[in-house]
Amino acid sequence: MAGWREASGSRQGGDNASAGTPLAVDRNASMSTIRLGRVQPQAPGHRTVFCNDRDANYLAKYKGNAVSTTKYNVATFLPKGLYEQFRRVANLYFLTISCLSFTPVSPVSPITNVIPLSLVLFVSLVKEAFEDWKRLQNDMTINNSSVEILQEQRWESVPWKKLQVGDVVRVRQDGFFPADLLLLASTNPDGVCYTETANLDGETNLKIRKALEKTWDYVTPEKASEFKGEIHCEQPNNSLYTFTGNLILQKQTLPLGPNHILLRGCSLRNTEYIVGTVIFTGHETKVMMNAMNVPSKRSTLERKLDKVIATLFGVLLSMCLIGAIGSAVFVSNKYHYLELWINGDSQQFNPNNRFVVFVLSIFTLITLYSPIIPISLYVSIEMIKFIQSTKFINNDLRMYHHETNTPALARTSNLNEELGQVEYIFSDKTGTLTRNLMEFFKCSISGETYGTGVTEIEIGAAKRNGVNVKEVEKSSHAIREKGFNFDDARLMHGAWRNEPNPDMCKEFFRCLAICHTVLPEGEETPEKLRYQAASPDEAALVTAAKNFGFFFYRRTPTMIYVRESHVEKMGKVQDAAYEILNILEFNSTRKRQSVVCRYGDGRLVLYCKGADTVVYERLVGGNDELKKISREQLEQYGEAGLRTLCLAYRDLSPDMYESWNEKFIQAKSSLRDRERKLDEVAELIEKDLTLIGCTAIEDKLQEGVPACIETLSRAGIKIWVLTGDKLETAINIAYACKLINNDMKQFVISSETDEIRDVENRGDQVEIAQFIRETVKNDLHKYHEEAQSIIHGSSGQKLSLLIDGKCLMYALDPSLRSTLLSLSLSCSSVVCCRVSPLQKAQVTRLVRKGANKITLSIGDGANDVGMIQAAHVGVGISGLEGMQAVMASDFAIAQFRFLTDLLLVHGRWSYLRLCKVVSYFFYKNLTFTLTQFWYTFHTGYSGQRFYDDWFQSLYNVIFTALPVIIVGLLDKDVSASLSKKYPQLYKEGIDNAYFNWKVVGTLACFSVYQSVIVYNFAVASSTTGLTSAGKMLGLWDISTAAFTCLVITVNLRLLMMCNTVTRWHSISVGGSILAWFIFIFIYAVVFVNKGTYFTIYVLLGTAYFYLVIVLVPIVALLGDFLYQGVQRWFYPRDYQIVQEIHRHEPEAVGAGLLAVGNQLTPEEERRYAFALLPRERSKHTGFAFDSPGYESFFASQQGVTAPQKPWDVIRRASMRQKTKSPRASQS
Amino acid sequence: MDQKNKNSKKPSYSRFSQQELSAWKPILTPGWVIASFLTIGALFIPVGLVALSASDAVVEIVDRYDEECIPDAYSMDPESFIQNPDIKKTCVRSLRVPKKMVAPIFVYYQLENFYQNHRRFVKSRSDKQLRDPEANNDTYHCFPEARTSDGKPIVPCGLIAWSLFNDTYKLSTRGKPLTINKKGIAWKSDTEVKFGSNVYPKDFQKGGLIGGAKLDEKVPLSEQEDLIVWMRTAALPNFRKLYGKIDTDLEAHETIKAEVENNYNTYKFGGRKKLVLSTTTWIGGKNDFLGVAYITVGGLCLFMAINFILLYVFRPRRLGDPSYLSWNRLPVA
Repeated sequence: MAGWREASGSRQGGDNASAGTPLAVDRNASMSTIRLGRVQPQAPGHRTVFCNDRDANYLAKYKGNAVSTTKYNVATFLPKGLYEQFRRVANLYFLTISCLSFTPVSPVSPITNVIPLSLVLFVSLVKEAFEDWKRLQNDMTINNSSVEILQEQRWESVPWKKLQVGDVVRVRQDGFFPADLLLLASTNPDGVCYTETANLDGETNLKIRKALEKTWDYVTPEKASEFKGEIHCEQPNNSLYTFTGNLILQKQTLPLGPNHILLRGCSLRNTEYIVGTVIFTGHETKVMMNAMNVPSKRSTLERKLDKVIATLFGVLLSMCLIGAIGSAVFVSNKYHYLELWINGDSQQFNPNNRFVVFVLSIFTLITLYSPIIPISLYVSIEMIKFIQSTKFINNDLRMYHHETNTPALARTSNLNEELGQVEYIFSDKTGTLTRNLMEFFKCSISGETYGTGVTEIEIGAAKRNGVNVKEVEKSSHAIREKGFNFDDARLMHGAWRNEPNPDMCKEFFRCLAICHTVLPEGEETPEKLRYQAASPDEAALVTAAKNFGFFFYRRTPTMIYVRESHVEKMGKVQDAAYEILNILEFNSTRKRQSVVCRYGDGRLVLYCKGADTVVYERLVGGNDELKKISREQLEQYGEAGLRTLCLAYRDLSPDMYESWNEKFIQAKSSLRDRERKLDEVAELIEKDLTLIGCTAIEDKLQEGVPACIETLSRAGIKIWVLTGDKLETAINIAYACKLINNDMKQFVISSETDEIRDVENRGDQVEIAQFIRETVKNDLHKYHEEAQSIIHGSSGQKLSLLIDGKCLMYALDPSLRSTLLSLSLSCSSVVCCRVSPLQKAQVTRLVRKGANKITLSIGDGANDVGMIQAAHVGVGISGLEGMQAVMASDFAIAQFRFLTDLLLVHGRWSYLRLCKVVSYFFYKNLTFTLTQFWYTFHTGYSGQRFYDDWFQSLYNVIFTALPVIIVGLLDKDVSASLSKKYPQLYKEGIDNAYFNWKVVGTLACFSVYQSVIVYNFAVASSTTGLTSAGKMLGLWDISTAAFTCLVITVNLRLLMMCNTVTRWHSISVGGSILAWFIFIFIYAVVFVNKGTYFTIYVLLGTAYFYLVIVLVPIVALLGDFLYQGVQRWFYPRDYQIVQEIHRHEPEAVGAGLLAVGNQLTPEEERRYAFALLPRERSKHTGFAFDSPGYESFFASQQGVTAPQKPWDVIRRASMRQKTKSPRASQS
Repeated sequence: MDQKNKNSKKPSYSRFSQQELSAWKPILTPGWVIASFLTIGALFIPVGLVALSASDAVVEIVDRYDEECIPDAYSMDPESFIQNPDIKKTCVRSLRVPKKMVAPIFVYYQLENFYQNHRRFVKSRSDKQLRDPEANNDTYHCFPEARTSDGKPIVPCGLIAWSLFNDTYKLSTRGKPLTINKKGIAWKSDTEVKFGSNVYPKDFQKGGLIGGAKLDEKVPLSEQEDLIVWMRTAALPNFRKLYGKIDTDLEAHETIKAEVENNYNTYKFGGRKKLVLSTTTWIGGKNDFLGVAYITVGGLCLFMAINFILLYVFRPRRLGDPSYLSWNRLPVA
């Protein structure tokens, strides 16, 4: 360890490679804190890898490159799988019952309980095995994919699993890196290669990796075999974007950073091949270290279910108690024919020891009544939910987004019904409500504002004020392309030369063209070239520069090439090259980005762009007029919902630059605190700036967002916007989304008040904190009172609350939390701006825990991971953004507006269906068990079973199993379109109207009624001879008849619960009844030694049987029928009225679904074309932009992590391999 | 366009996955409610009437004899009477025929408060042994009447067989004996399959404790119809079992003399014994329950139907009235 440190300290002398070449175009290097999983403690020490020397590495016993993501193997499958199953209380309960049923106390034979239990276990295990099998196949595909490895000066193809640490491998274009590699050489000049990290973080923009200069030559196998290096590096860890180590090559120590590392799971792009050496293998690779299991969420309904089951257990115990007391009282020697005084096998019926009789009877009766707890309930629910999510949600064409080719995805099937009960939606703004399509919209140069466009927000604002603004007609020659929606003749086509300040315009354009981290891709013409940018803002800015005549077309690690028009004189085009000396990257603390460049003529300039606050702080003194005008313009842009950036420059003197550069290099190559040191060094040069102007970029709203929000709020769902944006931007977006309107009473709690600023300027931290706390406290109490008086008043005014992150921090204090909660719950919309990811999660948790309401979080970025996990239901926006939010989410949809379908249609239906399924399960098992219970009273409380063992065991599994699943899948009260037309129907889910104690109680009453009818009718009508032959029926004849009645009754009862009856309903209900008859026809012949032998045939010969099976179900169901009729007549539910209103309308089948995609409107064509463009990723830069890096920093500090399933990464990796990615075929 | 289709993740359309399966959507409208009640009422009442009249046509004579057949001397201690083998147990009852009874007339014995359905009782038998001569030793479930004291298996074993009912009846009218035909009183499936024609009683009722009737060891079990009837255990503690048939008609107001051999001990547990003579119709013996149930339910349904019709007339509910919607009902807040 010590030696290694020394080596890294002394490496500076020999390292010239990094001097003067700040190559890192890759933004991720700056975001060292993004990780997908929980931070794992790093093993102490470091690892030493001997490159190209298997024998030397052998001693270290590194793990192989084979990965296994399976949960089980052949040997562990049964024990481990069974263990998992028996962790469920219900299964354990049935295991206990099954064990009990092997003892003599049991009135039933073991099969009664063992068969259903084993069937349930079997189904669950098959499901587990199937899932694990798929995982295994994925693993095999991956482990067996081949990679070229250097052996005896030749490239040999070996499977991935054979790879070992230290091996030198070659990866070809579009191939995946088999392990974490150190990049040695690339076919590209300068040892550069491009990687796509979509499998890691979902970003498809290419990242540059660059090899150390010393290793550039090891391209050919002959040369590469000479490579003998030693790598000292950190132990395997899960931080994706950090790496520290040294390469010791020919006695030189070369520092290694994340930019030299190629991670497993990424793929190579735009490079013929690369040569690398393996550092981490298999499960020690960063992507695998990131894999972890997420504790799965359970739905509220299921938790409620537990309570009901516990209640049932209570009922069971009291039934047993009654029976056991009866039994203890009953046993008596007077019943001589029972010979109770002889106790052979047990004390069960010993009249001299009534206490033992009592205790044993409890066990007996528990075994007898065990079906009161529906054993197949959980497995049925699982099955239903699984099909609901895989077949319905994932396949819904209404939720398929054509432009991005993204269907909806249910990542878990646990929470389907939770979607039907959501009351609060917490939404991220950027990328969720807004389109994350950044368009250069306006700009201000030297105090002059340009750009004639009017944003939708402005139109909306004008409309609210009663002014009708028409969008300004675009001039005929206006350029319109992605990222550029700007029109002003004063700047276009060189016209800027005639503006009052042409030099400033030139600086403005150059700043746009030079100061960025964009990569050009494709042919170097303005039409064909595409920009690869880390954030769409950047691309928009560079695109703007292009349209202004400053066409950035090529970048090398040291140079930027710009084709400039109209600079010297009108119409002249010239190529200019700028040497990029340093890039001072954007990060959330700096909120700015600078580039030091050298003009062809030797001029040294620092260009800087960043948030207005940070740039203004660093401006050179003087020219206050310009600053004031510019600030006003910035505010105007902000009001219009535009995202602003300030541009500035500074001329540098060579001496001053050189001395600064030394410090920069030192900071850049330091091993510890590199980030912080770089920031400090940057501060030294980013000062005395001259303001050029500012840019305004429009952040477009997603399609259909306002309509969706309106629908959702009509459904009784309250939507909160949690955003990192400025207050003004957030308010504007809220207005545009119809979340807030002028009729609402707005409560604003902001830290941006003059009083707070005054205190802040004094700079005493303690005082600031105290002052803000007091202010927030006063505001909260004041607003709370006001809110109460408005709510209790008659004005009916709606309320809204706007609060910023700083105030929220104080408001979330335990002492104020309850006030905040009650205030915000009385508001119909809440906007929190400037909030960190942690606060997002806190707010979500506040409502979830504090108000006990069902919450849903929707977001698209890493900054939303916290709140997505904190909410009951997490929804990720997929398609356009990174994968982190999706990875953490329970459902992924492509567009915010699909929430309407997800909640109002799928959620509502799932809720309805599962409520029906669950209540039906209770009903049928309770009814069944109660008939047993009534019989107990007639058997001297001996616990004699009424039904045959097999009837009882197959009751749940066959005779009543399928129909309820069909209902769980197909029942729907009103059609999808009506669900959306009448969003108010959703309220029943919010109020949990279908599964509460009242519903369960009503059901239980009917259950008692029906069991009484079934049992007593069947028994009472059988007291005399029942055929003209006068023969009497025995116990088993009567129980068979009763069971027939029961099966018919409960199956018909299900039909009565249905709103729709498809042929599947009829088939399954009819089939179940038929199955019973088929079963008994066979069973009654096959088992001669059973009491049931021939019973059904005996019954068929009696008139009694036919009279009873008609009478009993009808009488039993008459109660329900009457109840339903009266309920519908006098207290109709909303959905029933809607059904009636639309009862004559045929349901539109496939309406508008088949057409979509086949016939595209011009607008759709355009959007589709956009979708085919390389996708823009949002890593926002600039002021008020919520950047994932920024926020995940907070998140990781606070321990909020974005988990990920191991197989997701792997699976996607393998899927990509099978179907060549579209990107690959394009390039 | 081709490439687009190939890479498209667009879900394919099916009526199932889009949840658009064609379905019948029943709505429980007032019309349906009324119609259903009317239909049930209209169908059930006639069925009930038919069933009730069938039951009415049955002539049944029930005579409880357990108390009367105890001599007065033993009335305080009937057990010692019934357990004393030396006392003659015959007792004569006279039954009056209320209506003409057409042959076949069935003779039943009815036991009350006898728990033939007690768990210990029900399982104390061996179906295998009853059917299969090879399975004599299959007495596992027969406890506590499985084997003799010297370990030989009892055939038929178990409490049920052991407690076989052993009262006998001799009927005569106007001095002429009425033959009670004891053939064909058991279910055919029992005599043919469940009880073996080559299984003979062995060591039956040889223990210290005699439960009930003894069996003729020469007659195979399949012909011991009393046993077969007895062993088809009853569902309830009050039950009737077929004793035999009389193939002669009995005229109304005739008096029947019944000589009862009162052997079976029901006195210990307070059970009741009855002798029943009954005719049958298509519905079986006298059983008003089904008929009454049908008529009551039908009547109730008609009553409901009338109520709903009145409701419909005086307080109609328009279908699909939007003013019923909750958000229209509540004053907009």
